[in-house]
Amino acid sequence: MTNYKIIFTGPVGAGKTTAISSICDRPPLSTDKIASDMTRDVKKTTTVACDYGTVRLNGGDCLHLYGTPGQERFDFMWDILVSGGIGLVLLLDNTRPNPFQDMDFFLDQFQDFINQTQIAIGITQMDRKSAPCIDDYHNHLSKQGLTIPIFDVDARKRQDVSLLIKALLFSLDPGLIENND
Amino acid sequence: MDNHTRPVKIAALGMEQRTYSTLQLFFHEHCKDSYVLVEENSADISIIDMDGFQAHRMLEEHKKHYPNQPSILISLSHNKADDAVYIRKPIMLEALSSALRKAKERLQQPVAVAKAPAPEAPTAKMAPQLQIVASTPEKVTPLLLNNVIHNPHKITKPEKSASKHFNQYRYSANFLTEDTDLEHINTKLAENFSPDNPVQIAKFQYQPEQTLQGYFQQAYFTALQKQQNVLLKGVWRPITILHESKQLRVEKNFRHLYALSGMLFDKSDVSITVLDNNVDCEPGLHETVLPAEPFLWKLAMRTSRGRVPANTNFTAPIKLIRWPNFTRTIITPHALRIAALWARQPTSLMDTASYLAVPLQHVFTFYTAAVSLNFVAPVITEENHSTAALPPVKRHRYRKIFQNLLERLRNS
Repeated sequence: MTNYKIIFTGPVGAGKTTAISSICDRPPLSTDKIASDMTRDVKKTTTVACDYGTVRLNGGDCLHLYGTPGQERFDFMWDILVSGGIGLVLLLDNTRPNPFQDMDFFLDQFQDFINQTQIAIGITQMDRKSAPCIDDYHNHLSKQGLTIPIFDVDARKRQDVSLLIKALLFSLDPGLIENND
Repeated sequence: MDNHTRPVKIAALGMEQRTYSTLQLFFHEHCKDSYVLVEENSADISIIDMDGFQAHRMLEEHKKHYPNQPSILISLSHNKADDAVYIRKPIMLEALSSALRKAKERLQQPVAVAKAPAPEAPTAKMAPQLQIVASTPEKVTPLLLNNVIHNPHKITKPEKSASKHFNQYRYSANFLTEDTDLEHINTKLAENFSPDNPVQIAKFQYQPEQTLQGYFQQAYFTALQKQQNVLLKGVWRPITILHESKQLRVEKNFRHLYALSGMLFDKSDVSITVLDNNVDCEPGLHETVLPAEPFLWKLAMRTSRGRVPANTNFTAPIKLIRWPNFTRTIITPHALRIAALWARQPTSLMDTASYLAVPLQHVFTFYTAAVSLNFVAPVITEENHSTAALPPVKRHRYRKIFQNLLERLRNS
C-alpha cells in the first residue's frame, strides 16, 4: 500500500477542518482545542497540531488529507506536514480584514512546496461577504504572474471541495482522463 | 372510454427532450391526464415548436399530411409572414391551457371530430389556427417551454420518468447547475475537421456580435470599463448590469433569455445605455439579481453550440488568463483538463483536442465560453505558428494514483 497526501492550509476559520471532514471517508482525527487566544473571537475551538483524514482508493492505496493549524505560532508544523505531499489546497476566509495579505503570506510560506507541486485556492464565506470577488483575487495574482485555480467554495459542500482537488490534480497532470459520464 | 372523457392526443413536434418532458408533466399534473403525448400520426392536436432550423418545412409537411388537425404553434417571436397565430415563449400555463381548451372545443365540433383525410388529399381545407390572447406574464406561472432546437424532426422520448424530470426543474433553482443542453452538441461532426478547409471553418464559426451574447458582452465590458451601471434593452425585458458587484438585474423569469441565444437582433432594435451611478438599481418585485459571469458563460455556450466565434485562429496557441470559477459555473466537458493545459502550456485548439484526446467540439465549447469573458486569449506571435512542435505535457509519475483518486471523487 502506498500513501499520498494533500495539504490543506489557510488562516484561522477558513474552513480547513470542515473541508477535510466533507471529503474524507470517516470523521477526521482532529486536534482542536478550546481557543484561548484571539482565535476565540473567530471560533470556539482551533486546530493546534493538525487535522487528519483519509480517502481509501482502489488497489489499497490511501490518500491522506492534512490540515495545518491556522495560527502562525504553530507554523513549525508546516514543514513536517508538507513533506511528501502531492499538492496544496489553500483556503481563504473572505470576511477577514485583508484576505490578500493572507494569500500572499501562505503563498510565500509554502513557496518551495508549491514550486515542486501545484496549488488550488478556495475562497470561503463569500456568501457573507462578497468583496473582494474572485476576479479581484485573480487580478492580485496576475501581478505576480500566477495563474492558479481559485474557486468560491463552501467548505461544507463535498462537491466544492472535490472540485478544488480535481483542479489540483489536473494542474499536476492535464493528461489525466476525466470520465464525463 | 368515450370521446368525451378519453384523453386528447397531442403530438409535440420539433421539441427537444426537456420541453417534451415538461409538456408531459404539464399534462399529467396540471391537466390530470386529460391530454397525452402521442406520435404525430395518431394525434388529435399538434403543438409545434417553430424555432428550430427546419421548423417551417416541418410545418408545411404537417399541414400537407394533416390538414384538418388543429395546431398550436409556439415561438419566441410572432412571425408576420405566416397567417398563423403563435403562443410566444416563454409559454405561460394559462396561455397554453387556453389554447388547448380551444383546440379541444374544435375537436368536439362535428366537423372537427372527423379524423384527418388521407395524407395526400390535396384539396383539403386547412383548419384555422388558434387565436391566443396573451396573458399578463406577471400573473401566471411560466412553463419554461423556451428552448431553441436544432433537430426539429427528432422527438427524443425522455429516458427518465416525467416526475423525476420535473423534480429536476423544481430543484434547479440555481441556474448554474442545471442541464446545459450539451447533449445536443454532436461531437462527431468535427471528427474530420480541418483548419485548412474554408467550408468546414465556416461551419464551425459563428458571429456573436448580433446575438444576445454579443450585445450582453458589449454592455458588460462597457460597465466594467466605465465603472458605471449599464442598461441593455432589446426585445427582452431590460437587463441592468451592475458594475461594482458584477451582477445583472433581470426579470425573475430570466431563463427564457437563454432561448434567445439562437436569434439575431438588428442593432437598431438594441440599445446600450450607460447609467448615472446615482440611478437606483435595486431589483423590483418581479426582478432578481444574478452573477454576470456565469450568465454570460452559459449564454455563450448556448449561442455557440459547439462552434467558435468568427475569426478564431484554430492553430494559434491559446493561453489561460484566469481560471473560471468552476464551483459556480457550468463545467463544460473536459473543462478542467483544458484549463489546466492552457494554464501550463499555451496550446492551439487543434492540438488541445489531440493532446487530451477529447472531441474538438468540447474544446470549442470551452474556448467560446471562456473567450467571451476574456479568460483565455491567443498567444500572438509574429509567425503565429502551430504548437505542434511543442512537446505534449509530461505524464506525472503519480498519474495512476491521481486517476484512481479522480475516479473515487466521481463515484462517491
